[in-house]
Amino acid sequence: MKKKLLSVILSTAMIASVLSGCGGNDGGSASTPATDNVASTDDAAPADDAAPADDAAPADDAADSASSGDKFYIYSWNTELQERLAYVFAANPGMEDRVEYVNVGDSGIYQERIDQLLQAPDAEDYPDIIAFEAAYIMKYTNSDQTLPITDLGLSESDLGEMYPYTITVATDKRNGSIKGLSWQACPGAFMYRTDLAESLLGVTSPEEMQAKISTWDDFVATAHEIKDKSGDATRILSSNGDIAEVFRSNMENPWVDDSGVFRMDPIMEQYMDMCKTLEEEDLTQKTTTWTDEWNAGPSTDAVFGYFGCTWFLHWTIKANCGGSAVGEGTYGLWNMCQGPMPYYWGGTWLGATAGCSDKELAGQIMKSLCCDTEIMTTMSSETLDYVNNKTAMQTLSDQGAGAYDFLGGQDFIAVFSPLADNVDVSFMSAYDQKVNDLLGTQITEYSLGNKDKETAIADFKSAVAEAFPSLTFE
Amino acid sequence: MAKSKSNKHKTVEYGRYGYYFIAPFFIVFAIFQLWPLIYTLGLAFCENYTDTMWNVEVGPTFNGLQNFSTIFVGSDGSLFDTYTFRALGATLVMWLMNFLPQILLALLLAVWFTDTRVKIKAQGAYKILVFMPNIITAATISVLFYKLFDYPNGPINQFFVNSGIWDVPYQFLATKWATRSIISFINFWMWYGNTMIVLTAGVLGISPSLFEAARVDGASSWQIFKSVTLPLLRPIMLFSLVNSAIGGLQMYDIPKLLTTSGYGDPDYTTRTMTMYIRELAFTGARQMGKASAVSLVLFVVTLFFSLALFYIMRDKDEIREKKAIKAAQKARKGAN
Repeated sequence: MKKKLLSVILSTAMIASVLSGCGGNDGGSASTPATDNVASTDDAAPADDAAPADDAAPADDAADSASSGDKFYIYSWNTELQERLAYVFAANPGMEDRVEYVNVGDSGIYQERIDQLLQAPDAEDYPDIIAFEAAYIMKYTNSDQTLPITDLGLSESDLGEMYPYTITVATDKRNGSIKGLSWQACPGAFMYRTDLAESLLGVTSPEEMQAKISTWDDFVATAHEIKDKSGDATRILSSNGDIAEVFRSNMENPWVDDSGVFRMDPIMEQYMDMCKTLEEEDLTQKTTTWTDEWNAGPSTDAVFGYFGCTWFLHWTIKANCGGSAVGEGTYGLWNMCQGPMPYYWGGTWLGATAGCSDKELAGQIMKSLCCDTEIMTTMSSETLDYVNNKTAMQTLSDQGAGAYDFLGGQDFIAVFSPLADNVDVSFMSAYDQKVNDLLGTQITEYSLGNKDKETAIADFKSAVAEAFPSLTFE
Repeated sequence: MAKSKSNKHKTVEYGRYGYYFIAPFFIVFAIFQLWPLIYTLGLAFCENYTDTMWNVEVGPTFNGLQNFSTIFVGSDGSLFDTYTFRALGATLVMWLMNFLPQILLALLLAVWFTDTRVKIKAQGAYKILVFMPNIITAATISVLFYKLFDYPNGPINQFFVNSGIWDVPYQFLATKWATRSIISFINFWMWYGNTMIVLTAGVLGISPSLFEAARVDGASSWQIFKSVTLPLLRPIMLFSLVNSAIGGLQMYDIPKLLTTSGYGDPDYTTRTMTMYIRELAFTGARQMGKASAVSLVLFVVTLFFSLALFYIMRDKDEIREKKAIKAAQKARKGAN
């Protein structure tokens, strides 16, 4: 009998210890960041080798981490910011040695990673500047985890050249202080293949194209035309997900208002119906956004166009067009027009963390990258990024630098400029990324015909309630 | 007292050193497993989440059984109609779908490989081949299958469409049972080799003379399997079953990586308990309190399954024998 009891106890302990793997993640929040720290110091290893003394110092005196000998950590999820920072370093000699750029590598886990890092202000790799995406920047700027730019030696007069929406997004809703700056403006357009437009639709100019897709009804009609005339070889879009940002930008109210009430904007129902139409009438290539198959679209004749913004043009379409000069792949065979709705998509902001070890340096970096007209003009002319600086863009436009061979000579600045002035970001809230993910799941079910609309919306709302227990529903 | 002093130099207390040697394990265990475990237990009864609007942590403050009530009772008041139990259901379904064929095939192969009369050739090569999928990391296999069943132009779809069997490609990973089957198949394929090796070791541990004696008595292969192999394999079977139950209920990597969003597409039908716990704790409002409560539910369910298996696999003969002995002892006492 004793033996049996012992075996039961042992097996209980066995299960308990195996299960504590997940328990450890929940409870031992202190231990999780600790393991992460090890991983990221590995990333930073080459720099640490040179100065082993630095490693020991913060451990001895964590409170003194503000000493200027420390590494200055900047976190982001890809190499884009790093490439842009090169312009800042070129203008500020000596700065580069202090900055440690950490590329988390995956925007999907970026928020989780940052949340963990922010919990340990004394850690060696505590971030000094963090990059934010539009989908969650408000979560950080509306909290005490980020510093107002006035603390960094910047003033509102530095922001005169910026597009107003980039400032609105990064303003703390509680007290109106500005917490983040962006070097890019991201109005969106519809980017389409000129050769396909001519052969399938007989369209030869962006204006004619715009007339063909100026409303969603026209868009669907044109989609049918493309599908029929190409004999099913070409579809107007690659995936349902391609229209997501267009509709999201046109929400009149954010998902969650300031008093914590969740609302589903009527336009999102229109979005659901649009997805169903595209799916049922077989008007897209039926891929999933950001997959290999979707990425392959621009290099083939299977996809007519994409909804994209300033960075999308370079990072997605140009990068996947299958060539790097006119004549190669689809390079040079693209044009842009507004599309059915004006919209805006994404962008990257920088914010200094509450425990930033060197506010002066943070201010310098942000000022150079986001406010310095000279640096930003150079940056834009070399990278063709649409920078968040009206004068810079105007200068380049006047010089004719906007004529872009990738777009067959179309002036991308001339297309984006009027769009950038009119971006309205009142639809944004701190909840966007998760809520949009949850909606995506239900839209798939609805468009595939597995659920009717009412069920899909009800399931969506209950999933939101599950993810955010403190929200109230109308 | 004086005696013990004089003995001191003669005997060395080796026992003491034993404790020093095992101490590191217990220290590490206490810090990284026992304490989190206790902390989780506490958090399960607390309100603890992050208010996304201002990104501030709420709690932990004690709120009794509120976390559990949201786990057990759905928003419309119906019992068990919650995301937690849907995740549990999906986990159990996918575990059973991979485990039943897995143990049957592994048992069959183990018996064949150990049968002294059948003598299969090139056993070693086959064993290696069968075990191979287990060596590859689950992440790699998931991505491989994701590509294989890709829509619309994955190799599987291309094969069926190009060969004219299907008119249109099939959305495997957007269909509930197709996705569940793929996940179960991957788990089955990865683990049957491992189970087979364990069971082979178990069969080899049975004395060959028993098989020979049975054969001499004219028992058929099925009779030998049923009456000799299976009963003597019971402890190993128990080990395999409990191991698989624990592993299966904690299924995470394959469903997480196989689906596009990583949230158990389509419509959360492949979201396992651990995926759900992770989602609760690290996305959305980061509900540590509720995630801890769900962890506890998972613990209880796992414990229940393990104990049930212990009970089902108990040695009935041994119990009967013990009872008989006790009865006999009692009877003797009574007679005295």
